[in-house]
Formats: sequence, C-alpha cells, structure tokens
Amino acid sequence: MQRLRTDSSAKPARRRWRFWAWPSELRRRGILGMNRRNAAYILPRNPRHHFPRVDDKLLTKRICQARGIPVPETYAVIERQGDVRRFAALLDGRGEFVIKPTGGSGGRGILVIGQRDGQDLLTVGGERLSPADVQYHLASILAGLYSLSGHSDRAILEQRIVRHEAFAEVAVGGTPDLRVILYRGAPVMAMVRLPTAASRGRANLHQGAVGAGVHLRRGETFGGVCHNRVLAAHPDTGQPIAGLRIPDWDRLLLAAMNLGDALEMGYIGVDFVLDEALGPVVLEANARPGLAIQIANRSGLLRRLEMVDAHADALATHESRLELTARLAEVR
Amino acid sequence: MNVRGATPRVVAVLLVLSGAVCVGLRFQARRDVRLGRGDSVWRLTYRIECDVDKAGANLRAAFPWDTPHSRVFREDFRSSGLTIGPRRLASTGTREVLAVAQEPGHADLTVRFDLHLSPTANWSVQAEPTALSVDTRARYLGSEPAVQTTGSAVIETLKRWPAAPATQAELVQRLFEYCQTQIGAGWEDAPSDAESALREGVATASGRARAMVALCRASKVPARLVTGFEIREGDEVPPQVWVEVLTGARWLPYDPTNGFAEKLPYNFVPARRDAAQVLLTSDVSAVEAVYSIVRLPGAPEGMAVNGGHVLDILDLTRLPLEMHEVLSLILLMPLGAVVTCIFRTIIGVKTSGTFTPTLLALSFVFADWRTGLLVFVAVIALGFTTRKVLDWLKLLMLPRLSIVLTLVVCCIVFAVSALDYLRLTPGSHAVLLPMVILTMIVERFYVTSQEDGLRVAIQLLAGTVLVGFFCYLVLRWESVARLLLAYPEGHFFTVAVLILIGRYTGYQLLEPWRFRDVADMEP
Repeated sequence: MQRLRTDSSAKPARRRWRFWAWPSELRRRGILGMNRRNAAYILPRNPRHHFPRVDDKLLTKRICQARGIPVPETYAVIERQGDVRRFAALLDGRGEFVIKPTGGSGGRGILVIGQRDGQDLLTVGGERLSPADVQYHLASILAGLYSLSGHSDRAILEQRIVRHEAFAEVAVGGTPDLRVILYRGAPVMAMVRLPTAASRGRANLHQGAVGAGVHLRRGETFGGVCHNRVLAAHPDTGQPIAGLRIPDWDRLLLAAMNLGDALEMGYIGVDFVLDEALGPVVLEANARPGLAIQIANRSGLLRRLEMVDAHADALATHESRLELTARLAEVR
Repeated sequence: MNVRGATPRVVAVLLVLSGAVCVGLRFQARRDVRLGRGDSVWRLTYRIECDVDKAGANLRAAFPWDTPHSRVFREDFRSSGLTIGPRRLASTGTREVLAVAQEPGHADLTVRFDLHLSPTANWSVQAEPTALSVDTRARYLGSEPAVQTTGSAVIETLKRWPAAPATQAELVQRLFEYCQTQIGAGWEDAPSDAESALREGVATASGRARAMVALCRASKVPARLVTGFEIREGDEVPPQVWVEVLTGARWLPYDPTNGFAEKLPYNFVPARRDAAQVLLTSDVSAVEAVYSIVRLPGAPEGMAVNGGHVLDILDLTRLPLEMHEVLSLILLMPLGAVVTCIFRTIIGVKTSGTFTPTLLALSFVFADWRTGLLVFVAVIALGFTTRKVLDWLKLLMLPRLSIVLTLVVCCIVFAVSALDYLRLTPGSHAVLLPMVILTMIVERFYVTSQEDGLRVAIQLLAGTVLVGFFCYLVLRWESVARLLLAYPEGHFFTVAVLILIGRYTGYQLLEPWRFRDVADMEP
C-alpha cells in the first residue's frame, strides 16, 4: 500500500464544537436513520427467509465457495458439546486460528489465536488461554451465548487471516476489515475498520475501533470515526487515517457484488479482510448493516440509495453497476 | 403516496373508527343497564377512630363476603396515621383490611364498600372447603374463654333431653329453639358468654349465639360464630352475630336473635367468621367504630345485573372484584409496550431485550417500589460479582444461569426479610419479581460488558431502567386501568398508535446527536 496523500484531510479537523444537529441538517446531508433503514430498505429488500444465508456464517461460507469467492479455510466445525474436548486434535497442531460462532453478530464471541505456547494458546491481544479456557469458550458458543437467536449454535475453527502489510501503521493488535454496503447489488458505500488498543484488536466500532471511509472508485481511505465522533489520526499510532489505498479494490467490489447476487438480498453489508496471499477474503455478510459508516464517510447514504433506485436499469451487469458505483462515489 | 405507505394509515384510521364505535355502543349499553327487579345498591361504611399507643399497633377490619345474593363491586380505604393494605386470612378465608400505625397518636380509618344486593340472583361464590383438617375440626369443637363447652350450665342444659335425636339436623334444630326461646334478649350489660347466658336465661345477641355454639360443640357438632351486617338503611348499624353449624357438607346459618334457621334473608352479609367482632385491634385505645349503610341510586359502574348471556363475556366488569386488579394491570401492558416502542423507535434509547422494561415495571407494580428497587440493585451488584467469579469455574451456560437464578432468588428472599427488619414489611406480592428476567439481565449485562465494554453495558442497563421507569408510571395509572376494564376496546386506539409508530421512518430523537459531526462537515 502506498500513502497517497498527506493533504488537508489528514489534518485534525478544526470545527466548532457542537452537541446537537437539527434533523433538517441531517436531511440535507442525506443521513439515513435507523427507522428508515429498517422500514424502507431492510424490510422490503431483505426477504425474511433468506436471512439464514447471512446469519449462519457457515452457510455464507458455502455460498462463497460455490461462487469461487475466497473465504478463510475452515479447519473444523464443532457442533456437539462432546466434541469440545477434541478441539486440539481437530486443529492438527495449528497454533494460529480463529474460533467464531456461526450465528454471532457484531464480532461477538470471536477469539483470534495468534500462537501456541506449549499447551497454552495466546490470543493476538496477548491474553494467555489454557485448553480449559478455550473449551469453556467453545461450550459457551454451543450453548448459544453469542447467537443472534439465542438458540444453540455451532463453532467454526478457521484460518486466521494475516494482516496485510498495507495496514501495518494504522491497525493495532488485530486485522482491519472492510465493509461494503450493497444496495440492489451495487456497492453504495464502503469503509475500513481499524482495530485500536481500546478495541483490544477487534475491528468492531462498538468496542472503539476506528472506521474510515473508502472512496468507492479510487479505493482510498478518507475521514475517520471513533465512538461516533470524527477523527483524523489513529488514536494509538498517531498516523493519519486518510490517504491509504486499498489493494485489489476492484476485485473486492466484484466479489462483493458476486456474493450480493448469490444472497438475493437487496440491502446488505459484506465484510472482507485482506490476506497477503489470497487478496480480499469474505468474513461474513450482514443483513442489518450499521449506520456509523455514514460518519466514517462524512456523507449520508440516502442520496446514493435514491440514485440507485433512479438508475434501476443500470443494475443488470457487474460492469454497469461498477460504472454507477463510480458515480455514486461523488455523491455527497 | 404509494399503496404500501397508505395501507397502514388506512388500517389505523379504521381501527380508530371501530374503537370509537365500540366505545360508544358500550357507553350507551352501560347507561341503559337497569337493576333487576328488587335489586338494589348499597354503601356500607366503617368509620373507625382510635388512639394509637405505640408504633406497630394495628386495626383489622373484615370485608363483607360475597354471597349468592350480594356482591361487593367497589371498595375504597382512607386513613390518616395508618398504612393500609388488604389481606386474606388463610384459616377462614375472611378478607381484612390491615391498617398498621407507624407512630403513636390519633388515627382514623374509613372503609367503604359498595354492594349489589339481589333477592333473585344466585351468583356463584368461592366455596369454602368443608372437609375440615384435624386442627380446624378440633377448634370448631373446642372450648373458648366465652364459649365454655365443658361448663356446668352447658352440660346441665344438654341433660334436659334424655333421648338423643334421630339426626344431627334435629339436634341442631332443638338447640337452636332452646337458645331462641329459653334465653331472653338482654340489655348491653347482660352476659355475653355461653355459660352465664345459659345459667341466667338472659344474654346479649352475641351471648345467645355463643350459647348455641357451646351447646353444638358440646354435642360434637362443629359450630362457629359469624359477624356480619343486615343491609338496611341506618346511620349506626350494629353488626349482627349469628351461628354457623357444619351439617353434612355445608355450613348452615342459625340466628337465635332474629329467629332464622338454616337460611338467612338475602340482605344478611357475613363479614368475619369465627369471631364476634368486625374490627380487631391491638395496641390501640379509645376505639370508636361506627358502621353506616345508605342506599345508592341507580346501577353502579362495574356491575352487571343480567347474567348468563354469551355477550357478557365481553363485559369484564362482571368478574369478581379480586380479578379486577390483575385484569386491569394486564390491560395496561399494551400501553407499556407503546412506551417501549416510543423510547426505542422514536427516541432511540437502547434496552436489553424488547419487553424486559415492561416486565420489570410490571413486577415493580406488584412488589412495592421500595422492595423492587432494593432487590434490583442488590441483584445487579451481587449478580455481576458472582458472574465474574463463575467465569473462573468454567461452567456450561445453563448450570451457570441456574446458579445466578438461585442467587437472584436468595436476594429477593433476604431483601424481603431485610425490609421486614427495618419495619417496612412488604406485601406477599413482593416476591413476584421476575426472577428469570433479572437473571437474564445479569447475564446480558456481564456478556455485554465483556464483549462491548462496560460503557455499552451500562448504557444498555440505564436505557432498560429508564424505559422501565416510564412503563411503571403507565402501569400505575389506576384511572386508565379502570377505564380499560370497562372499555377494553380502547385498545383499538392502542393498536392504531402502534401501527403509526411502526410506519415512522423519520429520525430517532437521538440520531441528530449521534450524527452531529456529519451535519456541518464537508467530505
């Protein structure tokens, strides 16, 4: 990754402090609110019976594999409490892997193991876990502690994606991920989520990760958000967040559109991580993607969504959608 | 506007219209309710004044019982210097109002009952179990200070009849006639205990009744005193005392004073069984109790006269008074849901669980708020600590949740005990706090604090408590509850409001705050 710009957008923004914005101001900026997202986009565009395709990560993975979209390699799936004790054998001695619930949301219940130290395992956050700790975590996953529905769940043991060199300076303690929002199959907004010390290496905005907008056509980062407030530099490294170019950007957009078509859902967020060898790898898809992406992009979603609706004829092929997406990138 | 957007509004408008029509029809119908032939409505008032000698002193006034001809449809208590609450005595089923004094001084208590009296009705009443336990049978056969079953006069009296009667009914009839004819009605200074009444041949009304009880018990027939009222107009109506004798499977009334056997007139309403006083007191002096009865005009609200029509199912007010409280609370639940919807959808407050705040509020209504608050704080604090400790034990989820549940239960029990120690004895409803919901709140709070940080967890908890508080205010709204009980179709309006909220796509009130940074920033 090259640093492209260190221009004004990288400087800390100097703005008058404000506690409140008027709804009319949000409307002017085309901010999409929670209620409108649910009532006007998720309800009519995401058929309820297709939700398992995104809520069950194993199913999402299978769909990706069928379409030739790279996903992290699955080492094992644990479905029964009886298998929990055998997790070490299932891993075949691997010291680097990820444990995740198939039905989790918002990164909950995900454990990233960075290396093995004798019997113990070390998480990327530096926490030491005994085999009993890992078994306990697996048992909690199976009992449904992290599942969206609260029902019993399965645990996936899968390949840990190594952080791409591109993010070395702006990701602390974990792997950043990229979120692309697709509306009717066209990418309408994107952001990169950078782990911080506060988020304990997780790329989850709730937990204090930094989000930065990504220019849809150029694949460059700009702006930044942390805990719903804008910021320009990474809180831990002090490096500017703007001006990073995402490698393989077009491939990533194509993979997102490809997955979007397979899922048959009109309004989704697709999460990627960048692997040094594989390029963009799909982590999961989300049928209720969050709204903070608008702060990261310093721009509202509403106009872009309306523009997609107005150009429904341009949604037929990936190429025509990419053209539309390039135009969407300039909508502010 | 497209069809999709218009339909919900049309449905909402239709619901409002149907609601208005139904409320109107029922209003009309209720106005047209006429009393059945001979039916009447009465107000029985207890006015009690006393001097409290020390804190903790109490007054216990018995409620009138429902009978096949009489039903209480409204009750109301007022007092100064006393904390009051209704309760039911397990032994006889008598309902009492218990008024406890917090400090010495003058105190008064006014209790008002509105009764519907009908000579023709045959309302079903909760039957008293007549299969007596050994203890109870022993009590109804035993001797008491004023009912001396082993007294010499009692034994002498029974010896008057050398031949035993063929049946128990004949025996009771013989004893009743004896008490009615051989014991004269005396002034207030006449004896009021069984022994003296039989010996002197003159007694007060309660003395004659006690004499009959003593004679029955000495003949091995279970019997007891009953105090009640004859419902008739009067500024100072003395309570009546009569006798109930267990004959076969039924308690039959005998009134030696007024000469009624086996059946009382329809306007006799019992208040307290197994005692000769309506009012029982402890640690008070200079008690003055006045009982007055007035006849009320017309048909009261909350009273259904005609019975048996299928459409009466729609009339909730015809149900026994004790069900009114619970039913009106249930009917308020949708309003609690509306509050939750407003907070979550229009304001944008996040809560843990969708209906957790409403259910929490409901439990606070059943328990009083002091108990509720104490238990809630204790459960969250202790639960969170325990949950942290439990994490070390690496338990499976269900057993772990069950341990937290056990802790929650202990918290509730000991909080009740602690409040009692502080002389703030909570009602028995206090234990109805939703243990499972509290357990889930503890678990969610812990998991959220681990996964998303303490900040988010506290935000969620605060949101839940805030919404719960407003739900509580709604659930405490008694006048609306009464209105909904009379007009349950009012929920047509509730559903209409929910539909409109369900179609609200504007910004949540907190979103301008959340997105404030984007508002004036150039990309």
